[in-house]
Amino acid sequence: MANEQFSKGLPSTPGAPAFVDLWRKRALIVGVIFAVIAVILAFLGQAQDQLGWEHLLRGWLAGYMTCFNFCFGAMALLMVQYLSGGKWGLIIRRPLEAMTRTWPIVILFFMPIAVLGAWYGRLYPWSRYANWSAALKNGAISIDMAHAIRWKAPMLNAKDFFWVSFACFAIFALYIIRLNRWSVKRDADPEPHVAYWRVKFENLSGFGIVLYSALLFILVIYWVMSLDPTWYSTVYGFQFLVAQAYGVLALTILTLVGLSKAEPIQSTFRIIEQHDLGKLCFAFVMLNIYLAFASFLIIWSGNSPEEIPWYLDRIRGHWGVIATLDVIFHWLIPFSLLLSRDLKRIKSRLVIVCCVMIFARIFDIFWLIEPNFRDAARNLHLSWGIFEYAAMPGALISFWLVYYFTELKRRPLVATNDPHLAEILEHDYAHA
Amino acid sequence: MPLPEGLYGLMAEFDGPTQLVHAAKAAHHAGYRRMDCYTPYPVEEAAEAIGFHRDEVSLVCLIGGLLGLAAMFGLETWVAVWAYPLNIAGRPYFSWPAFLVPAYEWTILWAGLSAAFGMLALCGLPKPYHPVFNAPNFRNGATSDKFFLCLESTDPKFEAAETRSFLEAQSPLSVVEVEY
Repeated sequence: MANEQFSKGLPSTPGAPAFVDLWRKRALIVGVIFAVIAVILAFLGQAQDQLGWEHLLRGWLAGYMTCFNFCFGAMALLMVQYLSGGKWGLIIRRPLEAMTRTWPIVILFFMPIAVLGAWYGRLYPWSRYANWSAALKNGAISIDMAHAIRWKAPMLNAKDFFWVSFACFAIFALYIIRLNRWSVKRDADPEPHVAYWRVKFENLSGFGIVLYSALLFILVIYWVMSLDPTWYSTVYGFQFLVAQAYGVLALTILTLVGLSKAEPIQSTFRIIEQHDLGKLCFAFVMLNIYLAFASFLIIWSGNSPEEIPWYLDRIRGHWGVIATLDVIFHWLIPFSLLLSRDLKRIKSRLVIVCCVMIFARIFDIFWLIEPNFRDAARNLHLSWGIFEYAAMPGALISFWLVYYFTELKRRPLVATNDPHLAEILEHDYAHA
Repeated sequence: MPLPEGLYGLMAEFDGPTQLVHAAKAAHHAGYRRMDCYTPYPVEEAAEAIGFHRDEVSLVCLIGGLLGLAAMFGLETWVAVWAYPLNIAGRPYFSWPAFLVPAYEWTILWAGLSAAFGMLALCGLPKPYHPVFNAPNFRNGATSDKFFLCLESTDPKFEAAETRSFLEAQSPLSVVEVEY
């Protein structure tokens, strides 16, 4: 493409700057430290209440879900930006692609959940008490739980858990490979072929979004909701879908701001697109609290004994403190700060909000997971094990970041064959 | 109040937003403050160039929103707890989760209305007449494809001949005098 016509030419260094290697090294060190802490905590927890290794696995699930949300949420957002178009989509495209290409490590992280959690029943009660009648007789489970396990067994069993999970991974991987391969081909195309590529990506993404949303609903039922087989909520999958966009946008902004210290992002990541991404974050902050509160309000209003215990498990016994903090971290802080126009345009301040948002995701998953277990439901208490929810996600996310930074280095950071390229190469004003 | 007479200002016409923003920056740099840009569509950078940093609309909007929130939440609390307490399925009178939805709606409503009417009030609208319409080239171009910078005569630095030569140095299409 003829770059002379742009007021700024394409930066001559299209790849990721050298300091990404430093990030990768730091992430690796932090990951190892967290992993060591997690193992020490497991031993301490085992000595304290015999739950050390179980807590490690629960923390692993929290960390795994966060990495899953980053990787496959990025895939969803990548498809959304192909459908919606826009300059914000062009500037985040390559970071999102790098996130999606981390899928092998996410599947690796899933293995302990599948094998220990589901097959050996260390996490999921429907697997541990698959023999529900014996468990009911010796008082291990309540009659409600036995009833739920019995009638949900056609869906909640280890075999189905395995094949559904891996079938979904296979479908997602096909989409990711396709999206990434076409993106490279598009840039290598000697002619722009704008309409051809746009339609090609739109056709892939349009159905992909629908399929992904449907499969995600099933996956989060298996992976997180089924930790308490007695409870169900139809908005649960949608909450995860929105939370994925929430987390991925925050991580993308952090990446771009980090990369903007050097070319090529320095001259292509303009204030206008940064402001747009900040506004998108704000939208997802609102949508997130809307869904979370709507779900709570409906169940609170219904006050049905089949539904309300899930919330009581998460509010009573000091869990209310965690729930309140969850609202503060997830909504109040990002909402109040992102209201400001100036904040969205100042990189150093936007970065703080993004960090709060990612922390809020990890905090929320803790509130979702831990009260499912009998030792913790309606009984928030300090134990060594509870710190696994910081250590394990810390380790897994750090290792995931190592992979992400590696992938980030493998491609030029700006996609060049796109009609919006001319605009992001303009100066901040005069985008007429 | 007597109608003002004489020269309102000098107005330069430009072909594109880039030239306009450059000229506005130069004028601001040269010390002019009472000036305005007129463009067919919003050009945020032009507002920045003439030193227009903040407006009070966001504050009016915030105050309106908070008042709406307080008014509806207060009304619901007053009705449910003191004025007309009803036992609804054994729930407490002060059932804040149920109050949040109307309170939220009123926050949005009041914030929206305050933003709209606050903006009109702060802009001094409605204003059926403005001197720049006296310039014939303004009527032809301002809403389609031309960009204008008007340096106003009330500016202490304004001096007809000097200001005209300053504007002409910015290579505009034309510089015209605007009468009241």
